[in-house]
Amino acid sequence: MRELELYFGPQHLGMVGNFSITLKVEGDRIREATANPGYLHRGFEKLMEYRTWIQNFPLVCRINVVEPDHMELMYAMAVEKLANLEVPERAQYIRSIFLELSRVASHLFGLWAYANMLGFDTVAQWAMYHRDLVLDLFEELTGGRVYHIYIWPGGVRRDFPEGFQEKIVNTLHSIGGCVPDYDDIFFNNRLFSERAKGIGKVTREEAMALGATGQVLRATGMKYDIRKVEPYAAYHQVPWEVPIREEGDAYSRIWVIRDEMIESVHMIFKLLDKMPEGKVFNRTPNPFKWKIPAGEAYVRCESSRGELGLYLVSDGGDKPYRVHFRTPSYPHGLTVLEKVLKGESIADVGNIMISLYVVAPEIDR
Amino acid sequence: MSNSIKENLISSFPDIQVEVPEKDRLKINAEKEEVISILSYLKNKRYGHLALISCVDWMEEKEFELIYILSAYLARDDEYTDRERLNIIIKTRIPRDNPEFLSVIPVYENAEPYEREIHELFGIIFSGHPRLIPLFLEREYEIPPFRKDFDNRQYVKDVFDKIPSVL
Repeated sequence: MRELELYFGPQHLGMVGNFSITLKVEGDRIREATANPGYLHRGFEKLMEYRTWIQNFPLVCRINVVEPDHMELMYAMAVEKLANLEVPERAQYIRSIFLELSRVASHLFGLWAYANMLGFDTVAQWAMYHRDLVLDLFEELTGGRVYHIYIWPGGVRRDFPEGFQEKIVNTLHSIGGCVPDYDDIFFNNRLFSERAKGIGKVTREEAMALGATGQVLRATGMKYDIRKVEPYAAYHQVPWEVPIREEGDAYSRIWVIRDEMIESVHMIFKLLDKMPEGKVFNRTPNPFKWKIPAGEAYVRCESSRGELGLYLVSDGGDKPYRVHFRTPSYPHGLTVLEKVLKGESIADVGNIMISLYVVAPEIDR
Repeated sequence: MSNSIKENLISSFPDIQVEVPEKDRLKINAEKEEVISILSYLKNKRYGHLALISCVDWMEEKEFELIYILSAYLARDDEYTDRERLNIIIKTRIPRDNPEFLSVIPVYENAEPYEREIHELFGIIFSGHPRLIPLFLEREYEIPPFRKDFDNRQYVKDVFDKIPSVL
């Protein structure tokens, strides 16, 4: 049969975000796939070398549109490490609660993308609506809906306003009340399981060899989660479980994401119950004169897509010398995707890509 | 944990410098000839997760610094130990006027896009890499754009000011 070259994306219904894949196909089967990132390369890491430590906060959250808060956390944690700043206990709890809310919002956005691509329009609209409810919370707390610039070196920018805890609980209850509906119409739906089961299978050995983390690895049964491996913020203060699946296919990855959302909501309730009183930030030096001692730091956290890391170098000046983000979509979208697509059918490309939870801006940076 | 690895490393590689700058971090400064053998040594010690390859341009010292960050996956599915908490940072320096290094893809398969990115943004040539083709950029640059002597603002002025304004 004749081999054809096919361009999948960036203008394609099954493609979410500006990303493209070049496929070599024979009939309906993919012989070879090449990922083409770069449509969203804005050179953030270079731009950050031109701005002072504090000026970088509005930049850093824009690297990944879907989960800006984990990016802020990474940068704040690295700056704290280099400058030897302490974070108050209450701020650690607020960070965890805030990041878990952001994880729920990000997963709902991911669910929108996945359901939309598979043609489950109702589920997609529900997920988008429920994400908006979480964004309302962010707006009240920080003033911004998508980009918050809330996590700060030495703590968070402000304390919870009056009555905010009840609002979090009410919002999460109203979203959580819809889980049975989501299950009926989507997760337990045969239309979904027939399309996703056995598709895009990654074995554990492959996942480990290709540098995968997050859901890709957890769907193969390994409870690898940086929140447990190297706890940060207040994650070690409350008990919680890491959801896993064994099969390693697209279906199990989406189920891991679903279970993770529910676990996050439970975790927020536990954290809210245990949250101590106190101040929420330690004062930082005058940002115009702030010089950070020379050195380097590698910090990591579990973003909603996997291990997010930051390698930050200071040369003792008022600006970073080098910034390099280790984003989870980078191995998932380049190495894992190219390997997994081999031998699959053209109709499943979008399905596999979104189930790997690839976000293009995070790859390009 | 970090101390026992430190001792093992020093006994196997007498020429390297090993520091423990803080809890759960281990920093290795190595000569460039030794990097591949250190990486394979650590991979055999179950540090199988190459998290990041990064590069820093130390222009004044006329050197590039390559950074390899390793950590370990879980040994058992539901047990978290000090081993996974540890991040190993391996650093080596190569001359700036002859930026060549060996590819580590034979040891860590997922190094492929990282090396491609560093080749594109810093102009370092990784010998043995199967496809050193552009990853992100679409234009040709005289100086690779992430080097310190590449001036962003001057470049924007030179390139985009020439485009006739629509106004």
